[in-house]
Amino acid sequence: MQLFSWKRIIALGLLAVLVSVVVACGEDEDEGDEEPFRIGVMESLTGPGETYGQVSNNAKQLAVAEINEAGGINGRMIQLIVEDSKCSAQDSITAYNKLTDVDGVKIILGTSCSGAMLGAAPLAEADGVVMFSGLATNPDIAEAGDYIFRTAMSDAQLGIDTGNVLWADGIRTLATINESTDYAEGVRRASVAQFEKRGGEVVAAEQYASETTDFRTQLTKLLSANPDAIHLAAQGEFSGGTIVKQLRELGYEGPIYSEVVPVGSEALKIAGDAATGLKAITADLDPANNKAQEVLGSYRDRYGQVTLPWYLGSAYDDVYITAECLKRTGDDQDADGFRDCLYDITWSGAIGVGYSFDDKGEVVGLSNVVVEVLPTGDRTEDNNGYKVLGGAPTE
Amino acid sequence: MQIDTTAIVDMLRLAQSPREFLRFAKGNLELWANLLIIGWAVVFMVWQGTGFAISVGTVFAIWAILAVSLNLVVGFTGLLSVGHVGFFGLGAYTVAILTSDAAYEQLRTEAIPTFGLPFFAALPVAILFAGLVAVAVGIVFNRFRDDIFVLVSFGFAIIAFNVFLNLRSVTRGAFGIHEIARPEIGTWVFDGELEFLALVVAFLGLVVLISWFIVTSSFGRVLTAIREDEQATEVFGYQVTHFKLAIWVISAMMAGLAGGLFASWTTFIDPNSFILLESMLLVCIVILGGLATIWGSLLGAIVFVLLEEGMRFIPFLPAEYVGQARQVVLGILLVILMLFRPQGLVGRYKL
Repeated sequence: MQLFSWKRIIALGLLAVLVSVVVACGEDEDEGDEEPFRIGVMESLTGPGETYGQVSNNAKQLAVAEINEAGGINGRMIQLIVEDSKCSAQDSITAYNKLTDVDGVKIILGTSCSGAMLGAAPLAEADGVVMFSGLATNPDIAEAGDYIFRTAMSDAQLGIDTGNVLWADGIRTLATINESTDYAEGVRRASVAQFEKRGGEVVAAEQYASETTDFRTQLTKLLSANPDAIHLAAQGEFSGGTIVKQLRELGYEGPIYSEVVPVGSEALKIAGDAATGLKAITADLDPANNKAQEVLGSYRDRYGQVTLPWYLGSAYDDVYITAECLKRTGDDQDADGFRDCLYDITWSGAIGVGYSFDDKGEVVGLSNVVVEVLPTGDRTEDNNGYKVLGGAPTE
Repeated sequence: MQIDTTAIVDMLRLAQSPREFLRFAKGNLELWANLLIIGWAVVFMVWQGTGFAISVGTVFAIWAILAVSLNLVVGFTGLLSVGHVGFFGLGAYTVAILTSDAAYEQLRTEAIPTFGLPFFAALPVAILFAGLVAVAVGIVFNRFRDDIFVLVSFGFAIIAFNVFLNLRSVTRGAFGIHEIARPEIGTWVFDGELEFLALVVAFLGLVVLISWFIVTSSFGRVLTAIREDEQATEVFGYQVTHFKLAIWVISAMMAGLAGGLFASWTTFIDPNSFILLESMLLVCIVILGGLATIWGSLLGAIVFVLLEEGMRFIPFLPAEYVGQARQVVLGILLVILMLFRPQGLVGRYKL
């Protein structure tokens, strides 16, 4: 009888859950006095921000494994408790509550998505819990509160750098195309603001939804305005690569500028030779920084492939900064001490040398670089397909 | 033309009442097994941490309002709508924009019009606005039935999402609106999580009461008749389109209410919260709980939220794949549930 098997399934399921919980609780209790530092991690492990969240989580696991293998912090290990905040405020709030309330965590590394960050930040600020993100770039986060920090540079900074690069390269009229997402939209807005401030003029602007696959109509419109250059801000590598490819197919030979997404490995594969000469203004790891190369090496050893190297480095540095502050405070429940330590600290790691945090918890001392995509023959796994031209001009 | 009288007898019988629910629950081992698991899961969550349980409870209450209201349309009237999230978003954005205060004028990124209304003034506006849009949309949608209706409601969800994303001067587009005000009465602010849970549960109670009143009234019986045989109901002299429009608007207003509460609870909304997927999950909840039963929708929402949040407690998952593994387990559990109860946990009507 079907009913019978249904009941049996329920009983078995219940038993399995009960057993697992009992085992999990048992595990908690026999840790004794060598209890590890418990740190929360919130990343977009599923959903729209998955690529970023996964890379960020992997980098943090790598850093913690290194620290623990080297003997921990004064003999105490670090334990990361990972929760999925997706890219949504709702999931970020429940993940936050789970971490702070169930696990009793006072320090949270994350999130990888600005929307999730803005959802949980008011709670963290009210509870006095530190949130420390390596990836969230929305400019609004600067005002989110005293306990909110990030090593990710605000989109506002990227925009200023982009505007300056365009102007310095002699571009006077610009056409822009961007994906309708907070990141891409923010980059475009800030870039255009700086470009216009310097005296440039935007002659055409287009936007596209994330699921678009053909851009020829919009690109033709941009080209008919006859701009000196085209600026592209994408959130997905597919659209980023496709736009570059279709621009060249339409016969455009002028310069193309972008942010980091269109020079990602997937995007370059899609664009092929059309991407050669594409310039991107982005946060990238300095090839001369030994620490950065070392981190990329160990990441490649552990996970096989490197994507989003800067964000990987940022997440990695976050863990080491956390470890340093834990060494100073010696208590993972002391969020205030940890916050003061962050305000105080000056750090040299994978993403930069001698950077610190200002009174809004924004990172200072990092800068974006200009990279240029190499011809297809010269692209290797080591150079990620492009060469770094140098830092963005300030004036 | 022949009229199937058994269908009409069925419709009358299907009208819900607590007595019938009890009769149904009596000797129903599956239901008790379900309730046992739910009860145990609730106790488990509260024992783990009250703050966490409160936030899960709030998520449940908001989803339950949505599920109960969607069930009025899908379960009782037989119109499979996947556009419910559109009204949810409309409610959320209306509250978010109406309560936005002067702080927004100083933002570096896109500023929006500021009204600075208190929450309890903005909420009725949001409900009315969702209702108004539902009237406009519903007049058009009334021309469609069955599978075509699914497609047009799908279209509505897409349109709503794109409006939220692209009407940037009002919604701030992809940036989302943050620092949305919490409700306040006089000097008493619902800023504590427990107070807010109480508020949402109170509204849920109101929605359940209204829905119950609707489905047990003669109006509700006509809706059931429409679901069973629209033409036959028309032959009996009922203006079917009026009934369908009315329930569509009522349901949309309830979704608008849920949206307003959601915006105030998260204090941050962006278009990502109102994607089509949310609508699909909502239809899942309604079917999971059981079509054409209010209790079923409540049960469905509880089971779904507990499953999803309960996934956080699965031990021994590799830290690198913890998120994906949980989603896979959730998917498998839903498949198993549907396999054994295609009519839902307590439902009797099948799509």
